[in-house]
Amino acid sequence: MKISRRWLTELVETPLSGGELAKLLTMAGLEVEAVTPVGNFSGVVAAEVRGRRPHPQANKLTLVDVFDGQKVTQVVCGAPNVPEPGAIVLWAPPGAKLPDGRALEPKEIRGIVSPGMLCAEDELGLGTSHEGILVLSEKDGLAPGDNAAEKLGLPDEILEVNVTPNRPDCLGHLGVAREIAALTGAELRLPPVPPMHLEGSASATVRLEDPEGCPRYSALVLDNLTVGPSPLAVRLRLQALGVRAISNVVDATNLVLLERGQPLHAFDLDKLAGHTIVIRRARAGEKIATLDGQERTLTDEDVAICDEAHPVAVAGVMGGSSSEVSASTRRVLLESAYFSPARVRRTARRLGLHTEASHRFERGVDPEGVLDAARACADWMQRLSGARLAGAPIDLYPKRIEPVRLALRASRTRALLGLELPAARQAEILSALGLEVDPAGETIHVLVPTRRPDLTREVDLIEEIARVHGFDSVPATVPPLRRAPGVSPPPASLKADRARDALRGLGFDELSTYAFVPPAHLAALGYPESDRRARPIRLQNPIREEQSAMRTSLAVGLLSALASNLLRGEGELRLFEVGEIFLRRDGAPADTPAEERRQLAGVMSGHREGWLKPGEPLDLFDAKGVVVELLSALGHVADFEPSREPWLHPGVQARVSILGREVGRLGEVHPDLRAKLGIEARAFAFELDLDALGAAPPLRLAELPRFPAVTRDLSFFIAAEVSAGAIRAAIDRARDPLCVEVKVLEDYREPGRVPAGKKGMLWSFTYRAPDRTLTDAEVQSAHERLLAALKSALELELR
Amino acid sequence: MASSPDDLKARLHGLLSEFQAKIERAHTEQELRKVFADYGGSQGAIRVAQKDALKEAPNAEKKAIGQLSNAVVAEVERALEGRLAALHEAERRRDLERTVDVSLPGRVRRLGHLHPTTLVRREIEQIFAQLGFTVAEGPQIETDFHNFEALAMPKDHPARDMQDTFYIEGEPELVLRTHTSPVQIRTMLSGPPPIRIIAPGPVYRKDDDPTHSPMFNQVEGLCVDEGITFADLKGVLLHFAKRFFGEEWGVRLRPSFFPFTEPSAEIDFTCAFCAGSGCRTCKGSGWIEIGGAGMVDPEVFAHVGYDPERYTGFAFGWGLDRMAMLRYHIDDIKLFFDGDVRFARQFK
Repeated sequence: MKISRRWLTELVETPLSGGELAKLLTMAGLEVEAVTPVGNFSGVVAAEVRGRRPHPQANKLTLVDVFDGQKVTQVVCGAPNVPEPGAIVLWAPPGAKLPDGRALEPKEIRGIVSPGMLCAEDELGLGTSHEGILVLSEKDGLAPGDNAAEKLGLPDEILEVNVTPNRPDCLGHLGVAREIAALTGAELRLPPVPPMHLEGSASATVRLEDPEGCPRYSALVLDNLTVGPSPLAVRLRLQALGVRAISNVVDATNLVLLERGQPLHAFDLDKLAGHTIVIRRARAGEKIATLDGQERTLTDEDVAICDEAHPVAVAGVMGGSSSEVSASTRRVLLESAYFSPARVRRTARRLGLHTEASHRFERGVDPEGVLDAARACADWMQRLSGARLAGAPIDLYPKRIEPVRLALRASRTRALLGLELPAARQAEILSALGLEVDPAGETIHVLVPTRRPDLTREVDLIEEIARVHGFDSVPATVPPLRRAPGVSPPPASLKADRARDALRGLGFDELSTYAFVPPAHLAALGYPESDRRARPIRLQNPIREEQSAMRTSLAVGLLSALASNLLRGEGELRLFEVGEIFLRRDGAPADTPAEERRQLAGVMSGHREGWLKPGEPLDLFDAKGVVVELLSALGHVADFEPSREPWLHPGVQARVSILGREVGRLGEVHPDLRAKLGIEARAFAFELDLDALGAAPPLRLAELPRFPAVTRDLSFFIAAEVSAGAIRAAIDRARDPLCVEVKVLEDYREPGRVPAGKKGMLWSFTYRAPDRTLTDAEVQSAHERLLAALKSALELELR
Repeated sequence: MASSPDDLKARLHGLLSEFQAKIERAHTEQELRKVFADYGGSQGAIRVAQKDALKEAPNAEKKAIGQLSNAVVAEVERALEGRLAALHEAERRRDLERTVDVSLPGRVRRLGHLHPTTLVRREIEQIFAQLGFTVAEGPQIETDFHNFEALAMPKDHPARDMQDTFYIEGEPELVLRTHTSPVQIRTMLSGPPPIRIIAPGPVYRKDDDPTHSPMFNQVEGLCVDEGITFADLKGVLLHFAKRFFGEEWGVRLRPSFFPFTEPSAEIDFTCAFCAGSGCRTCKGSGWIEIGGAGMVDPEVFAHVGYDPERYTGFAFGWGLDRMAMLRYHIDDIKLFFDGDVRFARQFK
């Protein structure tokens, strides 16, 4: 909401500058986002054009004779619109000061000295137009010699106030002035509403058929109007406040809107069928052409303002073009009403129309101020367009909206704020805000005027007291320590943070990507329709299609990030993210609407770390090593088995499970998926479901070995398809408890080194007893037993 | 062949000279030890000579032969020790002559980097843990009830305009949470006071312009108990500001409006860019708006079944990413979600 400081000072006496008012209001809850000067000039006078002729040296320049009430002066002017003699222009003579700081001096232009200049809108800081000089008419009320700034109500400052939705009373200058009065103790000067006498004779009928949607409807019938432009001072004020000047009749409604926050609407009475207004629920499907030139279809939820035949306005939102005031309008029906905030809001939202009117009606105008606003507007119309009151005021208000009565316990204020504030001071603040206050000791009875729909409870009054007294004067204390339930960080969050630390240690960079992803990327993972990951939850109103599906896979976002980083020339990438995936519940009831699983995903591409030259290219075992180390940091040991994840290379992937439960997957990214995502380099990925990882067994110290170990190696050929895991399983079944560690040292398959169809392997076994140094004989016997068992279990050929 | 101690003596001295000459020519410890074994070892030439002498010598001479041989062996051993020490010393000298080009790069096991939001979140969690606040979490796809209704924002409330909302397709009652405040509701519904939580996490608003990201992170705080005051809110925020930014930092509460708090306040912190002296970022005011706060509205308590006469509480919330922006002087929130490693790798 734009607020004029000059207008404010007409309503409340304050010596404060725009900047000081901004600070005062901001600290009281009306945040002022900017203060902008308008028309900051001086010494400019109105002057009458007496003559004009071309500049002898330049065909784009004009020599203009202007009369300032005392003498005629010749001024050089470059504007294309120098008016006929008789018109009034604004002349900045030598000595005048312009908003950009310029002080005018006589200046020679193409051989002719010009004493100052004739001014365009932008040169006076009144707007942006530089199309030509300002040309005034007689109605603008400026005579030759008049000080322009004084007559136009300038200079001014415009305060951009951010009015919160609970304060509809501050959507007009009067409300803001009332705040300033309460905050500074100055007196509020309520603008008088002069009585109007019935002069003309015209009548209209108003029927209120939807009192729920329109609790109060007032109308004044005015005649004898002459529609035309408003005087410059009015137009400039509207323009400075962001409202386009349209005509004296419409401008009058806008002046009252800006003053009192009450939207009004003027209908051309003679365009209303039957000179009648009916306020009723619209019929479903009923159509109206609104002032913005659109045809709107109404529903029976909307409040329609109709004449005998058709809707002529969407109540509280926008008028209709059929009854619009035009140059030929002579009589108007002026509407001032209180519409149901919820109904206006629903209609405005459905129509996608957010107007100055709907903005205020949604938040609630003052039902008690409706008729006064109409009268104030009629007064403006009288002054601007010669209007006369032609019919008795109509005011339909079947069920009065009563002011709210509240009781405030002064002790409650103190207890809630933690601030010692006597009852008397509390009463004083409420009273300064214009509330009717009846203090009775510690209890303060309050009558809240209807312009403050936000004050309905004791606590609302406490906020008013805190706000006006000043949040700054509340002390800062710390609540006593209490044992509240919960642990910090909770186990799930701790687990995720441990994983982050482990991955960071393993050289991975943490990313955060959007939880909504392109549906095409999820589809590219190739999950079958039966898999919930193939049926993501979608947004009803995404910003764009590529952000419309809630991710069912964390890897998708990381792979996109991998692609864009590769494109930027980053070759060595190890990326991870911890975040949620979102799965449909498919009807299963639960505490949360969707199944949100916290997962961890990583992708890697490039080489192992080398020194002064690149290392070897990464392969699956680099990714597996990361997963093993990461799980070990979380206290888990996992099993890896071949798997069939559609987005991973069919032969280079594994399911990760712990004690038989699947917790994730890893593998080389399928070349087809890489092609779809534009990833040229080979890449490896893993996903772990952190929620599926159970609590790690508690960490307990294992006794440090006190006796030496003995190592035996075993080298053999075996059929290439027998996996290391199968061999390891056979070893684990056969090995003596004295064998405390088993490692694969080599797996080689080069033809020539191994018989056809075989691979060579080297394993090492470490023997150790917890209570003694093993003898050679003991080790030998345990190792031979192991060997015998392996030979019978597997077809291996010892070397 | 007759032999006498004198013969033996001459033979042993001969061997000793030979030994000395040979160890001078030995340049490794291995060679030395080999030479020693040949002469001074148990099967070496000296012991062989001794054995030969003993075979023929009368008993009376045997003792002298033994002493003589032992003395020579001792001398051989001394020579060995000396030579070994010299060898070691030479090796040590040679080793100490090695140099490297220390300006070559190190052989790195590169550390990764944590996301700035993670860094800031952890720090905030720790600061509030000192005040007894535990971490709570909630779902990101929320019901209209938890996200709006229970927070005193019924369907037609204009305050809903303050938060552009993403809705779930086919589920008019489900939204992507627009703030972390629904965690307040879930926490209060799960048990009675005392409550002291902070709730960090992603939130979503249908806002995408140079200064807004449709997904961002917030942290929410809630403290409910008997006797909790607005002054307590101020104190807790002040403690936070000083711990997070520094002792000289301040907090300013400015009246505002949120449907779920009353009184409501905007939280301003001393501007991190100019330390309060006024700059472009803070539009010269010295303060930066961080988030919102206030005393829990009685209507919210009504939704969760708390007695507003018995309990009072405060709540606050702000952008986690915004905190990181202030901490690290980041001016573009989009960078947080772009996945660009050139950004990620700066957070050491």
